[in-house]
Order: sequence, then structure tokens, then C-alpha cells
Amino acid sequence: MANLTNLYDVSKCTACRGCQVACKDWNQLPAVIEPFRGNYQTHEDTNADTYTIIKFIEHEDDPAEDVTWNFIKYQCMHCLDPACMKVCPQGAISQTNWGAVIKDYDKCIGCQYCTYACPFEIPKYRKRDDIVTKCTLCYDRVEEGLTPACARTCPTGALQFGDRDELLERAQDRVKFLRANGFPNATIYGKLELGGLNKLYVLTDTPDKFDLPVNPKVPGQITFWQNWVQPYFGWLIPLALAGSAVSFVTTRILAGKHGEHAEGGHE
Amino acid sequence: MQLVPEYRADVKRVERFNFVARMTHWGHTVTFILCLLTGLVLFLDSADWLAVIFGGFSGAGLVHRIAAVTLTIFLVIFVIFDFKGIISWVKDLLRFGKNDIIFVMKFPFEFLGFPVKMPPQTRFNGGEKGNSMLTPTSVILLVLSGYIMWFPAIFPAGLVRVCYPIHDIAMVLATFMVCMHGYLGSFHPGSGESFWGMWKGTVRDDWAQHHHPIWYEETYGDKANEKSE
Ligand code: HEM
Ligand code: HEM
Ligand code: SF4
Repeated sequence: MANLTNLYDVSKCTACRGCQVACKDWNQLPAVIEPFRGNYQTHEDTNADTYTIIKFIEHEDDPAEDVTWNFIKYQCMHCLDPACMKVCPQGAISQTNWGAVIKDYDKCIGCQYCTYACPFEIPKYRKRDDIVTKCTLCYDRVEEGLTPACARTCPTGALQFGDRDELLERAQDRVKFLRANGFPNATIYGKLELGGLNKLYVLTDTPDKFDLPVNPKVPGQITFWQNWVQPYFGWLIPLALAGSAVSFVTTRILAGKHGEHAEGGHE
Repeated sequence: MQLVPEYRADVKRVERFNFVARMTHWGHTVTFILCLLTGLVLFLDSADWLAVIFGGFSGAGLVHRIAAVTLTIFLVIFVIFDFKGIISWVKDLLRFGKNDIIFVMKFPFEFLGFPVKMPPQTRFNGGEKGNSMLTPTSVILLVLSGYIMWFPAIFPAGLVRVCYPIHDIAMVLATFMVCMHGYLGSFHPGSGESFWGMWKGTVRDDWAQHHHPIWYEETYGDKANEKSE
């Protein structure tokens, strides 16, 4: 099955935060009120009851110019090759055949391995249920033929939902248009990053201006752990057990041959 | 078949491990094995049967944490109540030298049961010195990385991330050592009285002279007696 993706176009977003509310509504998440920090952003980061946020980022690159004010919708990127899924010791994370990375909360034990494996540190621990939560790409809606709550709500068409290849083409056209119309740095995010994300972005500037990692990578410690330590290293243990078992037998056979150890053990 | 030598109260015995050392050693043994079994639930890919013993995965997680805290408490008790013992232990480890290297090189034969003649050993022989360095180091790494993994929110993400492979590597190293150590400290015929030294605290005088002549001479031999007189 082809991947079904959200395309988010920054240039069309008015930061109304309808998607943020629709997400809460569909997923029945309680409000989380954080203290005012001097800008329009409601939450510092995603949290266990807030799967998506609109970030407000201010940049002052050129003192002669005004402050540029960027906003961007932020949530799980539904990587095509998700690190969280690899580290989960419970196999609680899986990928649907259309590309949503989802969690089975009955299996989740709240160990938070996924939080720290994720290059974006998106999944967050929910203390009251002892689980780790994140955006589901509304797989429960999509599998019933609906669009994700955020995309359905978006009044400006900044969020679209559909076939990933089609949306990529649309994104490419849009970037071309933006580059020709006053945004020379406009770019796509999510096409190649981390082997491809199942969330596509059209950005009006480089990713760093939107608080996104320019070249995200799965942390090296995580790859080392999962690709080397986990699969191979543990074999030392059965080796030690086997060695002891062999010795248990040979010592007793050889003792018969060479005679019992002298009183009080030997040298 | 005899598993450990018979405990003989009728022959002369000398003290090898004091009460605090023995209590914390066996405390560590129990808590270490509990941590290991409940940790393997996550390390092995399909260990559902193992998890069932502890009442499922959340039960295993809880037992892991209770055992971990108990293990930490035994460590603290050891440090507080037998600090002198630890110092003399470390001092003995620092005596690692030629005799210990010869011991370790010849040890594979001894391990399998061939008769070998070993050079005289101090309180801890070459193999025990190696174990005394590797196992406690791994356990300390397990403790440090374990608490960081337990409370990841209060530590920097990069640190939390290195702790996963560290916890696993230290677990494997310590378990590798403990598998052989547990066997050597009990059923291996060549170890003779060792087990009673850790269980009851004393070993046979003649065994101590045979196995750890340097230690025996310094602690219970003529020189030591002269000093105390
Ligand atoms: C103070 C000591 C320790 C603490 C605080 C600690 C804590 C932890 C924590 C928080 C986890 C994460 C999984 C979970 O949430 O349940 C874990 C996993 C684990 N622990 Fe420990 N632990 C300690 C000692 C040990 C010891 C002594 C062993 C084994 C000899 C051990 C073996 C493991 C293993 C195998 C895992 C699974 C790692 C994986 O998923 O690959 N731990 N420990
Ligand atoms: C599985 C059962 C175990 C048995 C039967 C056992 C037995 C023994 C014995 C008899 C000794 C004294 C050796 C001597 O005379 O010097 C000893 C020492 C020691 N044990 Fe264990 N032990 C066990 C598990 C453990 C575990 C789980 C740990 C740590 C995690 C441990 C750590 C040590 C250390 C550090 C020493 C001192 C160094 C040495 O003599 O090798 N032991 N043990
Ligand atoms: S963004 Fe993070 S949580 Fe989402 S799929 Fe990728 S690694 Fe997993």
C-alpha cells in the first residue's frame, strides 16, 4: 500500500492552532496549561497529553530588518525507518502498511527507551498511566476512511492528507513557486531526512529557522546499542555457563584418573 | 558425587571473611540474580515466560527496582561497616604481579581438572584478583547507569542514551564473570574450602596454607605471631 501522509505547508499556516485543538478533541486529551513564556507558543514541547503543537520561533538574522517570525506545526514525524520501533523492548511500537508509526498502550511499560532513541525526542512519558505517548497519525480515523483530525480541521489548507508521492509532487511545485516569489531558501523537509518521513513539510526558509534539525540522525549510542551490543554481546553468558558445565564434568573425570585431591584441597 | 567438600569442625580453622563481608556478599548474590532475571526480560527478545514469573513485565520492572535499591543498600553497608576490609582488599589487588600472571595462565588447566602446580598466592589468587576488579567495576557501572535510566528526565539526553549500552555491556560482563565465579566458588573441586570461607567465615588451616601461602604466612604464620607478641 502506498504511504498516506500529511503535508504541512508553512506558507499557508496562520497559526490558528485549530489542529492542536482538534487533536486534543479526537484523542480525548485533557488540557495542559503551561506558564506564559513571553511568546505565543502554548507549550514548550509536545507532552504526554499534547501530541502536536504550533511552535513560534523568532529570528533576527539581519539587524537592519525586522524580526522574522516563523511558526510550524510539530509532532511525531512518523519516520519510514523509525528508531523508536527498534529500541522498544516490548514490541509495542509498529508501523501500519500505509506508514503510521503507532503504539500499543497495552504493551507499553513506560521505560522511555523510545523517547531517547527518537532524533526529535517526541514520545513523552505519561505518569498517570505509566506509558509513553505520541501522535498516532490518527490511524484509527484513517483506517475508517477519514482524514486525520488536524488535517480535517485546518481552515487554510496548510495541512493536506493523501498519497505521499502525490503530495511530494505538490510540495515540489509549491517550493518552486515560493522560491520564485520572495522565499529563495524555501525547501521540502521530510523527503530524504532519516530515510524519509511520513510527514512532509514545505518550509519558507532553511529547517534550522524552524527549530528542525538540518540533518537529523539516529543517535550513535542508540545504533551501537541496537546493532552491536543487543544482538551479539549476550552470547558471552551462555559461553560462561557452557564452560562451567564442561569443567564440572572434566574435573570429576580427571579426579578419578589422578586420584582424589589430598585432604584440604590440592595446590 | 561430592559437590562441595565436607565442612570439618574438628580440624584447625582460620578466619577468611568477616560477618559484614559475608552478609553483603550473599546479599549481592541474591539481589544481583534478581536484577539479572528481571533485566533479561527486556534484554532477550522473547522472554515472556521469564516475565510471567514476576507477574508480567510491569511486575518484573518493579522487582528490578526493588532488587536494585536493595543491592545499593548492601553496597552502602559494605562501605560503612567494613571500610577497613575494603582497603585491605584493594591493597591486595594492587599486589598483582608475576605469581598472579603465572596463576592466570595456568588456570585453564586447573579449571578443567588437570593437576598443576601454582606459585604461592596472596590473600586473593590471580583469578580472584581479576574477578575482584572486573565484577565490582561492572556492578558499579550497572548501578550508576541504572539510576540514570530509571530517572531519565533529570539527566541530559546524551547521557541517558549512553547508559543503555553501558547497562547492557556491564550486565553481560558481570554475568559472564558471575557464572564462572559462582561455579568456582562452589562446585569446582580445585577451589576446595573457598565456599566455607564465604559461607561460615572460616577455612581449614591446611587449605589456607596450601592455597594462599603468602596470605597465611602474613596473617597466621610465624611472622604474624611474632608481631602480635
Ligand atoms: C542499582 C542497580 C540498578 C538499577 C537502578 C537498574 C535500573 C534499570 C532500569 C531503570 C532499566 C530500564 C528498564 C525498566 O524500565 O525496567 C534497567 C534495565 C535492565 N537492567 Fe538494570 N538496574 C540495576 C542493576 C542491574 C543489574 C545488577 C543487572 C544485571 C546483572 C541489570 C540488568 C538489566 C538489564 C539486562 C536490563 C535490560 C536492558 C535492555 O533492555 O537491553 N540491572 N535497569
Ligand atoms: C552464584 C553464587 C555465588 C557463589 C557460590 C559465590 C561464592 C564465593 C566465594 C566462595 C568467594 C570467596 C572466594 C575466596 O575464598 O576468596 C566469593 C568471593 C567473591 N564474590 Fe562470590 N559467589 C557467588 C555470587 C557472587 C555474585 C553474584 C557476585 C557479585 C555480583 C560475587 C562477587 C564476589 C566477589 C567480588 C568476591 C571476592 C573476589 C573473589 O574471591 O573472587 N559473588 N564468592
Ligand atoms: S519522529 Fe520519533 S517517535 Fe516519531 S516515528 Fe520518528 S523516531 Fe518514532
